[in-house]
Parts: sequence; C-alpha cells; structure tokens
Amino acid sequence: MLSRSFPQTRRDVAFPVIGSIVLFIVLLGGGMLYQTILGNGSAERLVTTMLIDAIIVVGIQIYIGNTGILSFGHIGFGAIAGYIFAVYAISPEEKLKRIPMAPFGLTDTQVSPTVAIVIAVAVTLVFALIVGIGLARSGAQSGSVAATVITLALLFVTHEVAKSWPELTGGNRGGISFGIGESLKTRLPILAMLFAALLVARLYGQSRSGKLAVAAREDNLAARAMGVNPLVQQMVALLISVIVVSVGSSLRVWQIGSILPDRFFFDYAMLTLVMLIVGGRNSVTGAVLGVAVMTAARELARRLGQDGFEVFGIGLDDAPLDWVFRENLNSVVLGLAMVGFMIWRPTGILEDWEFDQWLYSKFGRGDESEPERLAELDNIPDVRFDASGINVAFGGFKALTNAGIEAAAGEIVGIIGPNGAGKTTFVNVITGMVEPQSGEFSIDGEDLAGKASYELSRSGLVRTFQNLRLFGALTVRENVEIAALVAQEHRSERTLRDVDSLMAEAGLWEHRDRRARELDYGNSRRLELARAAAMAPSFMLLDEPTSGMSDTESITMIEQVRHMAATVGAGVIVIDHDLAFITGISDRIYVFDQGEVIAQGTPAEVQANPQVQAAYLGSAAMT
Amino acid sequence: MSELLQNLIDGLGRGSIYALLALGVAVVFGIMHLLNFAHGELITIPGYLAYWAFTNDWTWWALAPAIIVSAVLASLVIERIAFSRVRGATDFTMLLTSFGVHFIVAAGFLLYVGAGVKQIERPGWFANTVSLGSLNIEVFDLIVIGATFAVLGATTWLLQRTMFGLALRAAASDFDTARLMGVKSDSVIRGAFALSGFLAGIAGVFWIMREGQVTPSAGINPMLQGVLAALIGGLGSLRGAVLGGFVLGLAEVLLRSWLPVDIQNLTTGFVFVMIALLFIFRPGGLLSVPQVERV
Repeated sequence: MLSRSFPQTRRDVAFPVIGSIVLFIVLLGGGMLYQTILGNGSAERLVTTMLIDAIIVVGIQIYIGNTGILSFGHIGFGAIAGYIFAVYAISPEEKLKRIPMAPFGLTDTQVSPTVAIVIAVAVTLVFALIVGIGLARSGAQSGSVAATVITLALLFVTHEVAKSWPELTGGNRGGISFGIGESLKTRLPILAMLFAALLVARLYGQSRSGKLAVAAREDNLAARAMGVNPLVQQMVALLISVIVVSVGSSLRVWQIGSILPDRFFFDYAMLTLVMLIVGGRNSVTGAVLGVAVMTAARELARRLGQDGFEVFGIGLDDAPLDWVFRENLNSVVLGLAMVGFMIWRPTGILEDWEFDQWLYSKFGRGDESEPERLAELDNIPDVRFDASGINVAFGGFKALTNAGIEAAAGEIVGIIGPNGAGKTTFVNVITGMVEPQSGEFSIDGEDLAGKASYELSRSGLVRTFQNLRLFGALTVRENVEIAALVAQEHRSERTLRDVDSLMAEAGLWEHRDRRARELDYGNSRRLELARAAAMAPSFMLLDEPTSGMSDTESITMIEQVRHMAATVGAGVIVIDHDLAFITGISDRIYVFDQGEVIAQGTPAEVQANPQVQAAYLGSAAMT
Repeated sequence: MSELLQNLIDGLGRGSIYALLALGVAVVFGIMHLLNFAHGELITIPGYLAYWAFTNDWTWWALAPAIIVSAVLASLVIERIAFSRVRGATDFTMLLTSFGVHFIVAAGFLLYVGAGVKQIERPGWFANTVSLGSLNIEVFDLIVIGATFAVLGATTWLLQRTMFGLALRAAASDFDTARLMGVKSDSVIRGAFALSGFLAGIAGVFWIMREGQVTPSAGINPMLQGVLAALIGGLGSLRGAVLGGFVLGLAEVLLRSWLPVDIQNLTTGFVFVMIALLFIFRPGGLLSVPQVERV
C-alpha cells in the first residue's frame, strides 16, 4: 500500500551519495588551494591534519548528531584504536626498543598497517559495546547528563591506562614511534577513508535506524510511544560512529608516526567537539564546515600569536595588541568559540541544514500533487481491547480501584470523569508508564501488562499526548514517516496507509515541509493524530485531544478523529473532561469517579444516569 | 585490623575533599540542572593566586581565607559572564558552556602565566604525623576531616535552618513553583554559586596544599572527582553527593592497598570500572532521586 516506501532511492540514497561527493571535493579542494597558494610543507601538514580531523569529527557526528547525547568518550575510543593500531603496526625491532615487555605475545607480532587498522576497529568495537550497554543502563537520552559523565570517565580511564601501563603503551614520555617503514607519506588512505566516512554518515542519517534515532533525540517519550526502542538505535549509532572514529584515529597515529597519551585526551576531545558544534552538530555538512572553519581560525590564531600582525605584512608587530597576540592564542580561540556558540547560537552555523537534502528539495523531488482522499476501511480485523481489575495506589491514596474498560474493533470508547477521577492514571497504566499493583490488560488476548511502552505501541495500542509531543525539529512529513517506518516493520499485517495520504487526510498537506515546532496548535494536534494513525494501530488512545481548543475546533476534531480512525481501521479510546466532546464522539462511555468506574453505556444512557450527574456535573447541575 | 583502620582514615581524608567538591557540584546542578565541568577552575584560579602570594611571602594563615574568597568570587563571576546567559537552555548547551569555560580559564593561564608547573610551598606541619597505637595519622588528614565535618555541619544548618536554605531547597526541587511562591530566582541562583564556590574554596585550600603545585589544566582532576562523586551519590541529591565523595575517597585508598603491587598504578582505572559497575546495577547512583517522567 505504501506508494512512497522506504528508503526512497533518490532522497535517501542517490542525493546523499552526491552530497558526500560534493562535500569531499569542496573540503579537499579548499585544502589543496590553500596548500598551493602557500606552497610550503607546514601548509601541507595542516591540510593533512584537517582531513584526518574531518574523518574523526564526522564519526563523532554520527553519534552526537543523531542521538543528541554529548560524548567525550569518542576520543577515548580513538585512544584505544590508536594504541592497538600502534602496537600491531610497529616493527619487532622498534618494539624491542620501546615496549620489550609487551603482554599478549605482542612483541613478535607485526602486521601490515591495513590489517592493524582492522584489528584496532574490531577491538575498539568490543569496548564500544560494553560502554554502550552501560550508557543504555544509565537511561541515556538526548542531553542526558549521566551519559555524558560516563563518556567523560571513559576518556579518563583510557588516558590513565595509557599513562600507567608502559609495558603496552610505552608510557607517558617515550611514546610509540614507528618503524613500520615510515610514517604515512601518501594521502591516499586518508582521502579514501574520509570519503567513506562522509558516505557512511550521510547514508546512516537517512537510514531507518538513523531516522528513528533522530526521533528519539527530538522526543524520547514520543518516540517510544511510536514503537521506537531508542536504546537499540543509540547502540547502532554508537557502533557505526566508533568504527569511523577508530579508523580516523588509526590514520592519525599512522600519519604522525607516534602516539602519546595526551594526543587523545582533553585537548583533542575539545577540539573535535568545538569543530562539530560550530558547524552544526545535527548535520554532516555542518561537521565538515566546522572542521574547515575551526582549522582556519586556529591556524590564524596560531600565526597571529607567533608573529603578531606581521603575517599580513602590515608590520604592526609591537602594536598595543601584543597582549592578545601571544603564543597559545589558538587554545583561547577554542574555548571562546565553544562558549560563544553555546550562548548565541547553540545549534551551530548550519543548525541541521544538510546540503544533499537541500539539493533534493530543489531539484530532486519533481512535482508533488496532493493525494486523493482515502476511503474508510470496510473490513476491519476483529480485535478487542480488555482491561480489568486494575488497582493503583500511591502510598495510601487509591488512585484506581478495580478499574477496567473494554473496546471492540472500530469502536470509539470515551472515558470521562472529573479531575482526580483517575483518568490519567488509567492512561498511564495502559501505556506502560505506571505499573499497577494488580490487574491486566490485553489486545486480542495478548497480555500487555508489564510491557515497555514501545512494545505496547507495536502491539497496536498507540497513544497521543495531552501536552503535545512532536518531533519538533523534523518536518511534518518526517514526523508521520517515523511512525510509518515502525509500522512497516511491526504492523505489516494491517493495512498500512501512505504517508502523503495521511498528511492530506489530516489537512496538513500544505504544511508538509514545515518543521513540526513551527505549526500552530490545531495543526500540531492534527499532526499527532496523523502520526498515530500512521502506526496502523488497532486502538488509538487519545489523551485529551481537545485540551486548549475552542468549542468549534472541538467539533471539527470529532469528525477528524472519527475519519482518521476509520481510514486505518482503528478503534479509539478517548479521554477527555469535555462532556460535549465525549458524548459527541463516543459510541460508548465509561465514567470514572474517585478511581472507580461508576457507570458505562451509550452517551444517552450515561447522561441519564443520576449517579453520573451527581459525580460529574456536581450538585449545581442537579438543581 | 590496624591497616584497615589506617586506610579508613586515609580514605576519609581523601573523601572529605571530594565530598566538598561534589556538594558544590550538586548544589548548582540542583538549582539549574547544570553539571558544572568548570567547577575545577574554582581551584585553578585560587591556585594561581596562591602561587602569586607565595612569591610575595604570604603565609598560609593569610592565604587560606584569600583562597576561599577568591573561589567564591570566581564562582560568581563565571556565573555572571557565562552561565547566566544559558539559563534555561538545554542540558547539552549548559554542559558544553561549562566545558568551554574550563578551556578559556585554562588557556588564559597558559597564555599569561605559561604552561610550566608552578610550585607552591606546603606549610611546615604538612608531613607531620601523630602516632596513635600502631596508627600513623597525618596531621593534614585530621585537619581536613575536622574542617570538612565542620563545614558540612554549617552547610546543613544553612540549608535547613535559614530562609536562604529553604529557598534554595525549594528551587532545587521545583524551580518554577518556587518562583511562583516568591523565591527570587536571580538571588537564589547566585546564592547557590556562592555556596558552591565557598565549598570549592575550602576544598581548594586542602587540594592546593596537598598538590603543592598548579598548572593551567589543574582543574580537570578536582572537577572530575567532584562530578563523579556527585554522580555516584545520585545527581540531584545533596546528601548523596557528600556520601559519594566519601565513597570515592575510600574506594581509591582501599583499592590501592588491596591491589597487587605491580598493577597498583592502575588504581584509578579500577575505580572507574567499579563506578561503571555501580551504574549498571544502580543507574541512579547510591541515593537516587526518583525521576518522574512528565507526560
């Protein structure tokens, strides 16, 4: 049924490849130009360093950009890879000189640098897996502080071990120098790996895993509600990024020809992070731009610091600015760049602007016409939702007592009750966010109690949020697409609706390329609805879908909810305190009061129930 | 037995400094959700002051208060210049801001004082020990432990018994609500930074005394120990931070004494591995603060 299935060859493969080629050529071309103009060895070294830094920064972008988790640890992984590369690639004669007591029988081993890189990557991946598990356990998510400290600790451990295990690493002073022929003389491996890194980063960004990781970056809870397990996607991103960083770090060691603990420590972590942040951490184009900008800025600062203004031949050497143009000025520039960007433009120069996606939107897309309206599904699979005997107590307070509801396929069931009736607790229970003391709930006999929220939504119970939770930086289309991606994998037995059609159905067609956070309130609500529908749910659970809406908007919403649910064949369980809305939309209604279901039936029956009138409408309505 | 006791005292001495640092980190984290990677600068800056003072023949009696005052001032100035501008930003932004501040301060000293190690003379009694049965207790450790407990007691009084403490705890538990209740956000944040600086200043006196030197990047280690200790105890919990500091100090000392001699220099590495294990089994730290997921 998906007319635009995933991946879309042009958008997700062809253009990213073209984009990677262009980025590669521009970076290399800029470097070559600089090198030719200056025509000296130090310019050449600077360009080589920049190209290697680019590999590592692009590698780090894969993790930080897609998951939003700040990591210092990638340079720690780089240290591991660098040392492993070094001890394998170094010649036995050199080893006798530098690390004669090397453990693991390494003294007699020597492999070619290429093989050494492969070993370095493999071993580092094992460490990445272990650290990744630790990160997952710590509940890592976008911006999470504990995760960052874990990565920082990794950086310190590797540094500490490198310093205090001289048998393997040559310790702090000597370092391991190379007798593998020479240090890297040709740029070819660096260029090949840089191109590969760009390609991997862009293709991963457009891949299923990349998109799901970004969804979790934007809103972890909403992503889980859409069937995404963020921990899995974070792990994938971590492993891929560590591969790229390991290759880059091995090349760095190879090119310098030696390794010291301090080469992969705080200063380098800072440098690579600043490069990533300045350009824009959420885009590969930004990472590359950051590398270029910061390399230039640092080189300029270094020269100014060394020679004063004389580099420009203006001869202001002993001018009053001497107190600024001092040696090590480039370190200050790094720190100022970091703090300055964080204060004035925390998302970096390019934010998440991606060159190839811009190219695609300009030239690759062709004409798009609004899709035809979808017909409502006529044969809906027969599924039931049952919840019964649910008890929840917070301390001594009984929030829910023996609560339960039933819903049949295609049915719209309303839950209503005054504030404090237990509606929200009930929703939290059946969406896996509050564990009940007792009780069970199931879809079609499949017991759902105790399952994680992403498992619940994969089983067919998909929720929306009272306080909007959209993937703010993503476009309307991407928001819906995330859900469709998950549905493709986990809901394939249902009728899957086309992303474009669902957007059109929700009245969002003209807004399809806008970022979700730019939408007004009503459109945001409709997007949540469309996104939930794209999951091809058996039941949609709508948590106060009209909160903050006017009466007329609420009435329109009734029609939209009915229609959206019908096009994907979903039943609806809707919680609201707006009596008019609930009675207008529901086939059947459950009335909650003080944690108990006090009445159920058709809207007319419920409205006529005196108990309900007393509880919900209050005594004023009785008179 | 006596060896264990000896180690316990050593560990307490070490842990005291960590506890002070961690408490300072936790106070600021509690109030604005900023994990301050620049906390170590509150030791680097007074460290250079100490270096300058010694070249001018100050005594430690004059120096110790100067260190504390300069740490408080540095904390307030950094808040004013950098952190006040990212208030309410994402955790990511605040983390990197503090990281950047660390680098600016370090690079500033690199630029204007130089990369070299600057020696600071320790006080004459520094290496003295008192014997108690078979125990040899360093006077330094005794003073550190005594001073730390006094400061912790005073801080507890401040937090529990004064209006400022109440405001601070209220703001730490729910900043927005506290503001609605009339807590002045500016003054409570500045108060938190001042307290954080004061605690770092006390720790700084001992840290500088123990190290006897200062370098531009001297802040990294105290920062890391403070941050780790706060995390071990459970971010957001002040009691946890103090506990975490002592646990970290004891773990270091005990581990060093238990490890075979030839891998003793890997102690720090092992401590990190133990911390990692702690997080795997207790992700929230020792006294974890329950995190409510808001829907």
